[in-house]
Amino acid sequence: MSDFVFATAQYDSGDWDSAPLVPPNVIDSVARYTSIDVAPTGVIVALASDDLLRYPLVFLTGHLPVRFTEAERRNVRRFVDRGGLLFVDDHNHDIDGAFHKTASEEITRTAGPLRDVPNDHALYRAFFTFEDGPPATSHELNGWGDNLVHKQLQAVWRGDRIGVLYSNKDYSSEWGYHPDNKRFLAVDNTKFAVNVVVYALTR
Amino acid sequence: MSALATLRATRRALRATIVVRALLWGAAAALLVFGAMAFAGRWSAVAPAAARAAAAGAGVVVALALAVRAVRRATLPAVALWVEERVPGLDYALVTLAEAGAGPRAALEAHAARVRWTPAVRRAAARALAAPLLALVVALLLVRVAPAGASRLAARGGAAGGGGEAGGRAVDDRLAALRVRVTPPAYARLAASELRDPSSVSALVGSGVVVTGRGAAQGITGAVGESAVRVSAAGDGWAAALRMPARPAALRLRDGARERWLVLAPLADSAPVVTLTAPARDTVFRAPAGTLPLAAGATDDVGLVRGGFEYIVSSGEGESFTFRSGTVGARTFGGARRGELAARLDLAALALQPGDVVHVRAVAGDANTVSGPGIGASETRALRIARAGEYDSVAVEGAPPPEADKSLVSQRMLIMLTEALEKKRPRLARDEVVREARRIAVDQKRLRKAVGEIVFARLGDEPGGEHEHSPDDGHDHAAEEPSADSAEALLRAADAATGRGVAEALDFHGDETPVVAINRPLLEAYNAMWDASRELDAGEPKRALPPMRIALAAIQRARAAERIYLRGRAPDVIVDVGKVRLAGKPEGSAAPRAPRQPAGDAALERRRRLARAVAALPAAPAPARDSLLALRVDALDGAPALAAALGEAIELLRAGRDATAALARARELAGGEAAVRAGLPRWSGGW
Repeated sequence: MSDFVFATAQYDSGDWDSAPLVPPNVIDSVARYTSIDVAPTGVIVALASDDLLRYPLVFLTGHLPVRFTEAERRNVRRFVDRGGLLFVDDHNHDIDGAFHKTASEEITRTAGPLRDVPNDHALYRAFFTFEDGPPATSHELNGWGDNLVHKQLQAVWRGDRIGVLYSNKDYSSEWGYHPDNKRFLAVDNTKFAVNVVVYALTR
Repeated sequence: MSALATLRATRRALRATIVVRALLWGAAAALLVFGAMAFAGRWSAVAPAAARAAAAGAGVVVALALAVRAVRRATLPAVALWVEERVPGLDYALVTLAEAGAGPRAALEAHAARVRWTPAVRRAAARALAAPLLALVVALLLVRVAPAGASRLAARGGAAGGGGEAGGRAVDDRLAALRVRVTPPAYARLAASELRDPSSVSALVGSGVVVTGRGAAQGITGAVGESAVRVSAAGDGWAAALRMPARPAALRLRDGARERWLVLAPLADSAPVVTLTAPARDTVFRAPAGTLPLAAGATDDVGLVRGGFEYIVSSGEGESFTFRSGTVGARTFGGARRGELAARLDLAALALQPGDVVHVRAVAGDANTVSGPGIGASETRALRIARAGEYDSVAVEGAPPPEADKSLVSQRMLIMLTEALEKKRPRLARDEVVREARRIAVDQKRLRKAVGEIVFARLGDEPGGEHEHSPDDGHDHAAEEPSADSAEALLRAADAATGRGVAEALDFHGDETPVVAINRPLLEAYNAMWDASRELDAGEPKRALPPMRIALAAIQRARAAERIYLRGRAPDVIVDVGKVRLAGKPEGSAAPRAPRQPAGDAALERRRRLARAVAALPAAPAPARDSLLALRVDALDGAPALAAALGEAIELLRAGRDATAALARARELAGGEAAVRAGLPRWSGGW
């Protein structure tokens, strides 16, 4: 069986590489809690590249405005239609911010409208159980960004499957630390990332 | 008139009666077949030609069977005998007259004249016609009770000789000869159009579609999907009005057992296509001054309404960004299908700070008030204001090619010159070879110096760190130990600047700073150029070529590094998967999940449906054609080419023409794979 490879999306606009420590941290958690064969390093995959279709889960983040090129748009649509899960996280954690406005516009234009993910969705039970839906981040709790605790994630659906998972919670900052520092945390805050990976691989 | 002459007249009348009676029985039989088939609903599963043949055949067989034999048997003696049976008072006078030939007739004539036998003959003839007339009436009543089916058969029957539904006598078919009036949405400002008896209607989403037909509206129903469409009286016919839906659908009209499908093929109003022509690419400005010309073109399939340029200014870095947005150059197009946008963006007015990024794109909207408005946007250009510390990496539009690029071209030219010299070396004298090689060496040294200047400048040293001198100034580096300005010294300077050893592979790794990441290939090129010029000075072009090629490859890597650097690069953190495997304390569990249904293969399903419909065509053309229509509705969304081929085939079938080619094309477009069968199938004459 092939290893699971964590892929970070590279897009033509914005700062796609704003959270370089998220991939190793997620990889560490996948290895730490599951028996999923996982590659020790992530890859960077251009949204316009056919290689996009080689990965079941692609992580997209950034602070700056997101404007897909037509090639990126076409490829993302193909990726989502063919069963891929694009996990988009607003590193700016601000619903009035440029990332949210432009990314949600681009997602809607590319894959379809974003709708709330119910907090009892299978995503929150795919591996760990999150009774209250998506775990809050320290940025939300500290009142940074838009000073909101976002109760729900949003998604573009393909039938009953999530094709694009969209978060305003800034998991990019929450998970953006060296995995070796996980030992200093009382509760590992990357557990939800494991759920996302397991969901992407099993649904 | 003599009795014999009257007998002959009676014989003619009886023969005519026999023929009429046979025809009546034949017509009754034909109508009974019609009526029976319509009643049983089987008429729809029978080809029109076959139905006609069956009905006509039944009628002809019955008529001939009754007429031929009876007419032959109606000889004069037989007729006389038939009359004698009904009028016994003739006492065989008529039979004797008929058989006597030229014998004595006067007594017989006189006897026959005394008896009035013709009224009895008339009554008997009338009675003979009553039964077939009654049967005919019953058959007609049967046909009247099932009007739709019978009339449809009749309509097809009237088109014998190639006429299909369109050319038939569809007088009684209220669903035949439809007219469809299409009124596009007001925003499109397009004229209404009328279609005569179509099988498909294509129009903009939201268009008004009015279907009209002949006859009373009562009893006709219409539906699109699960929604009923109201059918009302209009003039001397009926009408059904609806809006063109957003997705392909079929309008199903029903009149008793008769059903007709009309494909509704919506045309989506595309969003405008916008192309930003200026600025042509992302760029970096040294200072936020001046104005930036913006230009874009927009096109739309229906009409443009408005357009302009949107910009977002993002300021900050790391985790702290602020944003401002605005529009410039807004204009209206008044419904034109093509338009240009132009504006000037005043960079100074935006109060930009170093590090700010201006994202610019052009947008245009159409007048779609039904499913829109459609908004089209161009690619986005990012214009960055350089920070003070990064002026050396600022790309300047309109500037000559970077030094590294120029070096690339020069190095390639030097390699070509050296290769040419090496090729003709066997034909040249040694002195001439050395002279030519040293001439190339001078250029190689000049190029090495240029590369050195780039490297020195980037390492923060003084430009021209390699001191100036000419090849003939008596200070030849090739002949001396590495000095302070040699490649080794240069690498030592780089090493001091980065804390890395020069002996390591020249590649980008770990925490190497970007400046060194860019410069290391140039340093490698610089070093290789030393080796090359040394060999050239010695008159050895062959031995100079390998280092020259190394230098070229290194310059190319430096160019690539510069391109990559501007986008940034994530640090490589390699997780020790084996070490952390299942080391986590909290234990999760994969939630049970229902097995996932395999995704349906739409293309395969379309192929199967097409094959089924085609197979049913010879025996049941009407339902097969409806199946093709339904397939076309489904194909309009996902397989427009297949839908077009099916549309063509359906029209041909409706016109009673050969649709084999169109159906074959549809099968090709449906992606049907060749089936492997044992032995050759018997040719079936097409579809």
